[in-house]
Amino acid sequence: MSTDSFLTISDLSAGYGDARVLHGVNLSVGRGEICAILGPNGAGKTTLLRALSGAVWTRGSVRLDGAGLARRSPDAIARRGVAHVPEGRGTFMPLTVEENLRLGAFTRRGRGEVEADLDRIHGYFPVLKTRLRQVAGSLSGGEQQMLAIGRALMSRPRLLLLDEPSLGLAPLVTRELFRIVRTINEQERTTVVVVEQNAHLALDIAQQAHVLESGRIVLSGSADEIRADEQVAQSYLGYRV
Amino acid sequence: MRGPAEVTDGPARTDAPARGRALARSITPVRRRWIAVAVLLAVACSLPFQLVPFRVFQFTMVMVYAVALLGLNLLVGHAGQISLGHGAFFAVGAYAAAIMLDRWDLPYPLTLPIAAAVAFVLGLALGLPAVRLRGLYLALVTLAIAIFLVPLLKRFESVTGGSMGLTLAKPAPPAWTGLAEDQWLYFLTLAVTVLAFLLAHGLLRSRVGRALHAVRDNEAAAEVMGVRLPFYKTLAFAWSAMFAGAAGCVYTWVIGFVSPDSFVVTLSITLLAGIVVGGLGSFSGPLLGGLFVMFVPSISQDINDAAPGVIFGLLIIVVMYVAPTGLAGLAGRVARSTENILRKE
Ligand SMILES: Nc1ncnc2c1ncn2[C@@H]1O[C@H](COP(=O)(O)OP(=O)(O)OP(=O)(O)O)[C@@H](O)[C@H]1O
Ligand SMILES: [Mg+2]
Repeated sequence: MSTDSFLTISDLSAGYGDARVLHGVNLSVGRGEICAILGPNGAGKTTLLRALSGAVWTRGSVRLDGAGLARRSPDAIARRGVAHVPEGRGTFMPLTVEENLRLGAFTRRGRGEVEADLDRIHGYFPVLKTRLRQVAGSLSGGEQQMLAIGRALMSRPRLLLLDEPSLGLAPLVTRELFRIVRTINEQERTTVVVVEQNAHLALDIAQQAHVLESGRIVLSGSADEIRADEQVAQSYLGYRV
Repeated sequence: MRGPAEVTDGPARTDAPARGRALARSITPVRRRWIAVAVLLAVACSLPFQLVPFRVFQFTMVMVYAVALLGLNLLVGHAGQISLGHGAFFAVGAYAAAIMLDRWDLPYPLTLPIAAAVAFVLGLALGLPAVRLRGLYLALVTLAIAIFLVPLLKRFESVTGGSMGLTLAKPAPPAWTGLAEDQWLYFLTLAVTVLAFLLAHGLLRSRVGRALHAVRDNEAAAEVMGVRLPFYKTLAFAWSAMFAGAAGCVYTWVIGFVSPDSFVVTLSITLLAGIVVGGLGSFSGPLLGGLFVMFVPSISQDINDAAPGVIFGLLIIVVMYVAPTGLAGLAGRVARSTENILRKE
């Protein structure tokens, strides 16, 4: 585990109403690292990300660069530099691509900076530039995923939460998307927590990985260790080592 | 090399349809909107010189309703909330103006910002608890506001004039204008309407407007973008109440009389119907809704004197069936298909 822990989650429980989904999760992510969360359907991966961005009830502690995040409202957490690309992308369908991107910068004031950031996003996702005036609901699934990530980047996040970015995308598009996530992580030193069904891809870009099952972390380690683990190989990578 | 295309498209040979097509192409949606606004303003300015005073009065009322609907559009069409009690804010603006004119003899231009501010503050105060509710619950609470208003107005007789209401002098046209009273009131209302539309337009193009749209389209996503939901919903409520209050104030100027019976619950329902029929979230929705609210009841009366309410209700159903996005959506569809026909031509 990294010595310089940027995100520290201790004894975190979370859930919906009466239903508790996470049971005492502990994990930490180093500054500038990519951390992959793997696990079967219904394990609580989405719930973990929602707990980090304040969308569900939580118990326990979440610290980002030393400051407590737990039990703050989602908008307060967003203002502290956490950007969440939710499962299903959370696109504002009737708004244009440009309006969606500008909403990403909602927590920021400087006008010139926002313009510069729009250019930066176009650099990562050139296709968005050609679609600026188009209604976001008319984008293809892959384009919407790019928009969702681009929108998250518009807030200049310190922590980027990605929930199954590959969902519904062609393999080629998915690979391209992960390459860009890696580039963003390297160029902007953004810490990333990515939940992903495609374990291969996630482990390729991550330094650390954790396996979540029934709301508990059952395995943690470096990406290479997790890849080499026989159990993981059987359950998530689709082959026996 | 000289291709055939070059010959036929040469400037000397340009035929009329091609010129028409080029013209149609040069009219972008933005330009089209400005042209439409300019034409509309020109028509609006000439109306009071073409019509008899009663019609002038009716169009004045169309604008009064349009300003109120502009506010409701902000709340319902742009922020995705609901209010079944906007008649109450309209009434508050109307009474605020009436009381200022009646008790304090304030000059009438001053009553507009004050009445608007009073409605804004009241919207803020009532909106703060209300916006924590959703859908049906919010509808019910706003309806309750409209319901308890009338008895309240009757109760404080010494200020409000009780069931008798208050009668006031209408703003008189200054001599230099050479206008009749109905024309002067019309132009006053037009000025307020233009101001209100500019204000709403500016608001919607700002950061606040983006936040409202985000709240309407996806609350959860808006929140993780850093939009404080209670704050922006309350703000939408207050702004919306402010426009309704301003409309109420102008209503007092135009009618010269307020009484509790002018602001019964039906007014709130009619306003909501007006903006839904006019077109939620659209620029022209409030205007079309104003026309509907003003003229359809009197047309219904002509069709069937016994049951104007039935005709009014039926017409709402018909419009919603033919044009689910309201009259504004219908107008847009008609405009687009005419344009397509012209282009093919
Ligand atoms: N809104 C909700 N209300 C109540 N229970 C929920 C809600 N969302 C999820 N759950 C429950 O929480 C558990 C974990 O769900 P979660 O979405 O976190 O799983 P996941 O690991 O993201 O699964 P997947 O890989 O299918 O996306 C599930 O048992 C689910 O039924
Ligand atoms: Mg999930």
